Amino acid sequence: MKFSLQRKQLCIPYFLFLILFVVLPILFIVFYAFTDKNGYFTFNAVVDFFTSTNKINVLIQSLLFSVLNTIICLVIGYPIAYILASKEFKTNYIIVMLFVMPMWINFVLRTGATRDVLTRLNISGGEHPYLATMIGLVYNYLPFVILPLYSTMLKLDKSQIEASMDLGCNRFQVFTKSIFPQSIPGVVSAAQMVFMPTMSSYVIPEILSEGKIVLFGNSIYIGFSNNQWNSASFMAIIMLVIVGISMLITRNFTEKEEGGRASRW
Amino acid sequence: MENKNYIIELKNVSKIFEDETIAVDNFSFYVRKGEFVTFLGPSGCGKSTTLRMIAGFDFPSKGEILLNNKDISNLPPNKRPINMVFQRYALFPHLDVYDNIAFGLKLKRIPVPLKDENGNPILKLDKNKIKELKREISLTKKNKHLSSEEKETKLNELEEALKVAKENEVQAYKYKKLSVREIDEKVARALKIVDLEALEDRDISTLSGGQQQRVAIARAIVNEPEILLLDEPLGALDLKMRKDMQLELKEMHTKLGITFIYVTHDQEEALTMSDTIVVMKDGVIQQIGKPKDIYDEPKNAFVADFIGESNIYNATMIKEKKVRFLDYNFPCVDEFQVNEKVDVVVRPEDILIKNKGEGMINGVIQSKIFKGVNYQYIVLVGKNEVMVKTTKEYNEKEEVGLEIEPESIHIMKKDFTTNIYTDAWINKENEVMIDEKPFKCNILQLVEGGKFVDGEIVDKKNKKYDFNDADVVAEVALDKIEIIDDIESEDALIVGEIVDSVYKGDHYQYIIRTDSEEDFVCVSNYSYNLFDKVGINIKPEDIKLRLKKEVNNYEI
Repeated sequence: MKFSLQRKQLCIPYFLFLILFVVLPILFIVFYAFTDKNGYFTFNAVVDFFTSTNKINVLIQSLLFSVLNTIICLVIGYPIAYILASKEFKTNYIIVMLFVMPMWINFVLRTGATRDVLTRLNISGGEHPYLATMIGLVYNYLPFVILPLYSTMLKLDKSQIEASMDLGCNRFQVFTKSIFPQSIPGVVSAAQMVFMPTMSSYVIPEILSEGKIVLFGNSIYIGFSNNQWNSASFMAIIMLVIVGISMLITRNFTEKEEGGRASRW
Repeated sequence: MENKNYIIELKNVSKIFEDETIAVDNFSFYVRKGEFVTFLGPSGCGKSTTLRMIAGFDFPSKGEILLNNKDISNLPPNKRPINMVFQRYALFPHLDVYDNIAFGLKLKRIPVPLKDENGNPILKLDKNKIKELKREISLTKKNKHLSSEEKETKLNELEEALKVAKENEVQAYKYKKLSVREIDEKVARALKIVDLEALEDRDISTLSGGQQQRVAIARAIVNEPEILLLDEPLGALDLKMRKDMQLELKEMHTKLGITFIYVTHDQEEALTMSDTIVVMKDGVIQQIGKPKDIYDEPKNAFVADFIGESNIYNATMIKEKKVRFLDYNFPCVDEFQVNEKVDVVVRPEDILIKNKGEGMINGVIQSKIFKGVNYQYIVLVGKNEVMVKTTKEYNEKEEVGLEIEPESIHIMKKDFTTNIYTDAWINKENEVMIDEKPFKCNILQLVEGGKFVDGEIVDKKNKKYDFNDADVVAEVALDKIEIIDDIESEDALIVGEIVDSVYKGDHYQYIIRTDSEEDFVCVSNYSYNLFDKVGINIKPEDIKLRLKKEVNNYEI
């Protein structure tokens, strides 16, 4: 009896936190999304969003940027993580740190520096907004891909790789049939780390494209700063829904893999 | 031509790893088709490395591996008709039971000879063979362990073969996949063999350890390999399950008719299942033979100690067919030179307990343990312990007589390259007790990457160990025992009498016997007389130790 009481009391700060910083803000957003300026219930924001080609275009453009960024980061990050986790580098944390260290530099500062470097290389945001933004996104999100992939690669079951060789796989098939399936949990969590943050990223497109590219995050920000609280809130809800959908898609993957992993040991 | 029915043959195979440790040393042996062969030895004896070389995961540094008389030493695993059951099964967790078993079949390509419209075979250059030979040439060039001569002859051979392959056209093949129906049938058959018919759609993670084990076996045998390799496959199962699986594996072997090569450190497993046992130690074969031969006629003290429980004594041939140990001249059947020093092995179940005075020797029962089927007694005869197993019950402290029949006394040539002390133990000060006298030694050799941290023994994974009272086997090379003339000096760790001296051309080999009848064999340039009292000193780093039990028994 005493124990359960204690536990309940310990939960209180967490519940307060949850209500203040998670539940209430969401309720506010929902409230603003479905009311007008005077606080009356209305679907104006919904109609507004789906009839504005401008906003839909921003959404589609953001999705494309996110997908592309995720794919490029994975394509670059996967081999890097594999090499870092291989025997020669396994004990060498310094090299791993080199790849992760950019994350420690102030984000805005780093992006500003990226812009200057790109301008030097004649890829200024004014002339090549898409390319500059893409480079900035990949540069910023690469560490988030390498880290989860690296930690899955460290755990690769060597005897499974040997078993696949034993059963007739050549080097390429060893990769497609044993190494890659084993690393899927890492790929999924890496993709999660890149996809959603890219959609809502604000600073990178703003600085690197010199304001020429507007992603979903930027457009929500513009909405709030122009006092269009209702339509901006609805866009925030769209964002939440997309997060939810992507979580649902990937959850099945990770759970199945992790479950299999746990019970094997 | 005489070795036609050898399915696999290893010729002088050595494996030296990059850090220069020799895992397998000059290993030669063969396996007949359909045989069940077991590699048996303590951990680190090179048995797994040998298996991995046969599978193709490691390549020999020297020597060659022949499969059906064809050199496969440097062939990658996917090109060998050999499959392996892994220690931890290594099943694919992302596939279900069916797909795990069908994994190899789906990769399999059946060669079909190509023919033109008239039915004549189409000839082409054998690109695969050329690629294979080129790979082997580059591997040979990189091999650091071959002498330049060996390298040159091998390279010449390979270049020659490459030239032949490049100039001659051979029958061309196209490669066909197995049909879904064929795969279905084969998987069903394999599932039937391992008794898992109903489980083909199950996820691997939902299976018990025993079922996973069966899937692993099915996954290997479904490919119809010529040789099935099993790397301690039963290690993760509980005792009861292990016994059942042993019998089942044996049955499977008879039914399938495939050659099995099995690796284990469990001597009972080896004795139960194998046709032939290969006992290994430090990468060297100690004995090859049928289980019964190895048990009854162990070649040396190591084999006798490792296979089954045994009493091992130093003995001397007193007369023809008379051997002296335990202070008694026993009649025996083996013929050795008179006065030769020998090792004697007597199995505990071969010793008969009689009433006091009615046996050959008398002793006092020191301890008694009920073992289920029988009792195990330790009988103290003089200063020596004798282990006896019998179904009859006696009391502790009872005085009894012991009798050993001539056929039960196995005499082995003494291995004079090292002194082996099988009844050594570690005391509180981390010294090794040989002949009940403390010797300083390097205790850290018992754990991998060992070091002292705050006076405690810690291995490379930071596990702590306490070896107080641990039973060990101590080994000292002959030339590492120093004879001390002054028996009063501090260097004389133990004192004994020279009971035997042999002049070996440029040095003497002595046997120094202590009061408690322990023998130290050593070599020296100086001459001593028989019955001289001398002291012995052994440097700590020259005592090699091996635990009798697994190291994790001493973890704290």
